[in-house]
Amino acid sequence: MFVLFLVAVLGQAPSVAPSEPGVLPPARSEPDTAPVPAPESPPAVLPPATHELFQRIQNRVAQVRIIERRSGTRSSIGSAFFVSATGHAITNYHVVSDVVLHPEDYTAELVLRTGGEPVPVRLVDVDVVHDLAVIQMDDAVKEFIALEDREPPQGARLYAMGNPHDLGTTIVEGTYNGFIQDSLYERIHFSGAINPGMSGGPTLTGQGRVVGVNVATMGNQLGFLVPVKHASALLTRALEAKQDDAPSLVDRVRAQLLENQQRLTEQMLAAPVPKQKLGTYQVPGRWIPFLKCWGDTPHDPEAPYTVTNYQCSSEEDIYLSSHHRTGVVAFLHQQASSQKLGALRFSSLYSALYAQDPDTVEASREDVTNFRCATEFVDVEGLPVRAAMCLRAYKRFPGLYDLVLRAAALNASTSGVDTSLTLGGFTADNARKLARRYLEGLSWTK
Amino acid sequence: MDEMIFLEVLEGDSVHERHRLERFPATIGRAYSNDVILDDPKVSPEHLRIERREDGALVVRDVGSHNGTWRVEPWARLAELELAPDTRVAVGDTVLRFRRRDHAVPGTVITAAVAPKERVFEHARAFPVAMLALLFVSSLETHLGNYGRTDWGELTVAVVTPLTLTLLWAGGWAVASRISRRRFHYRTHATIGSLVLLGAVALPPLMSALGFSLGLGSGLSWLYHATFLLLMGWGLFWHLRYVARWEPGRLVRVLAVVTLTFGALSRANDLLGNEPFSTSLDFPRTLLPPAFRLARAQPVDSFFEELGGLQEQVDALAKEE
Repeated sequence: MFVLFLVAVLGQAPSVAPSEPGVLPPARSEPDTAPVPAPESPPAVLPPATHELFQRIQNRVAQVRIIERRSGTRSSIGSAFFVSATGHAITNYHVVSDVVLHPEDYTAELVLRTGGEPVPVRLVDVDVVHDLAVIQMDDAVKEFIALEDREPPQGARLYAMGNPHDLGTTIVEGTYNGFIQDSLYERIHFSGAINPGMSGGPTLTGQGRVVGVNVATMGNQLGFLVPVKHASALLTRALEAKQDDAPSLVDRVRAQLLENQQRLTEQMLAAPVPKQKLGTYQVPGRWIPFLKCWGDTPHDPEAPYTVTNYQCSSEEDIYLSSHHRTGVVAFLHQQASSQKLGALRFSSLYSALYAQDPDTVEASREDVTNFRCATEFVDVEGLPVRAAMCLRAYKRFPGLYDLVLRAAALNASTSGVDTSLTLGGFTADNARKLARRYLEGLSWTK
Repeated sequence: MDEMIFLEVLEGDSVHERHRLERFPATIGRAYSNDVILDDPKVSPEHLRIERREDGALVVRDVGSHNGTWRVEPWARLAELELAPDTRVAVGDTVLRFRRRDHAVPGTVITAAVAPKERVFEHARAFPVAMLALLFVSSLETHLGNYGRTDWGELTVAVVTPLTLTLLWAGGWAVASRISRRRFHYRTHATIGSLVLLGAVALPPLMSALGFSLGLGSGLSWLYHATFLLLMGWGLFWHLRYVARWEPGRLVRVLAVVTLTFGALSRANDLLGNEPFSTSLDFPRTLLPPAFRLARAQPVDSFFEELGGLQEQVDALAKEE
């Protein structure tokens, strides 16, 4: 999955997290001027040299430092870029998440390219779903980048800026490869090296127009950007907001998560659950395009049984903190059958499958409660299943839950299908609707 | 007056040797010329002499021993002591007690006036039957629990482990029996051990089968725990019956305290409500063939209604902290 660019200087491992977007990107790359035909010889229309772009932009990019109050020093770093004359800058939510969740323990400051002491900054607003944040320093800035929303053609040359691993402001060349297909949270695919510490920095066209905000990498020149339109929307909202009655940042994060899960739920409930055939069973298939599905049947000539796996997952999640993710939909089916095992030995196999839980969404003690489970025999339209449903609550965001549904068909003595559904960050009501729709997608075709 | 007294050589609380003294003076010491010979190297060859005083009282007198003679309670060196019932005297490392012939003994312990009933564990066939049952159940469980190819090594371990454990366990108890009851009772202990282990091996699958059949959730874990404690208490009771001389009633009371304390300590976290943070899902995982299911399958609606209860539980957990 994606690796966030945040460098965790003090032991926070670089983590995996994507955020959700759903917008278009703005920037523009060098070749955007209309007639850049292939046959022409290169020299005439060359984009501005990289060093010229760097010269022009460098003062609009700064390093964000998250300062832990007790040690008085930085606990992590990231990048940001100025977007208004009044000192507003855009960065990633995951760069400043410690300040959102533990304002009593952490503060943020900016290290400017122009030198001087680090400047304290205030967190103005966040968009947790798209992994964005707006910060502001008190001083006005002379140079900033105006946000426009225009999509460059695929293959356009882009330049990512930021401060990888605290090595100083860096410019990295790469190419624009459009939006990631069927993603749950909208992202631009940037083929260029993005590294920890560059999170929150801009990626620009040769003309200096921002296309997206650096957010994650999968290594090997696979980088990901948040489309700039989400940054513009967030900035607009931040500029319009009144200071007085603004809810706390944590409440805003909660509202955004609630809105996001509502959108996902509606999208999923609107789509019929496709039936996937597994042996003599039908199970929920690729329910919605953002799910990526994989399957396999390991062939072991010595094993007296076969188990076929079929799993689907959004493969993306929302970063809440370095050890808490949400916004996940994933499921797994395991269909087992055997000609050689007796009923009781098959039951051992089936119990072992039923005892393996899918990886739950990452969370720590301060984020979630323990799970509580209920288990029953359930009659799913004539198919008896052993089902269990487990729920845990989010401690910081009341009203949001993780739900795991497990079910195993009990209609035959030497074959069966075992299934599990993980829903991360839904209201109990929405989770119930989705889990119910899912369980009803299970049937026996004999 | 009755002149005869008994001199008892004590070992702890029990009597090691008992000598009847009828003629006085009588001498006590390490030399073979004495009436009572004590093989204690710290006792002098001529150590004590018991004689009748003019007033008729019996006195014990040190006849110039090297290490002296001591009254036990209170501890004091003595040269001469008038014997009263139960007088205890220490010479060297040996404690002597004097008792008169009219010393009162406690009442007879009443037992049923039937021929001693042979308990089932003592029966000659009980041990082989219990052991074979244990080995059979153990290997059956291993066989049914293995869904891969037959693993003969694993089956061998399933036979050898309970066999070895039982024999060693019985050995420990047999030594204890030998020490306190002078008999090993090895076969009896081995039978009891086999039965306890049989219970311990068979209990988990029986419990999970019961839980599955009735469609129960995690509620059975308390029943399982209680049954396990009962089994442990039962085993200890019968082992101790062949070791200690306690009344069954007393033994039961002591074992009840011991097993309940053990049970409470092993579940202390649950009892105190200290639940460690965990991301695991706690529900029974046993699946058995459809024929084992006794509970009725619920409609989908009523299953999902339970989510309301779960929501209340986790909301309460979230508020706790």
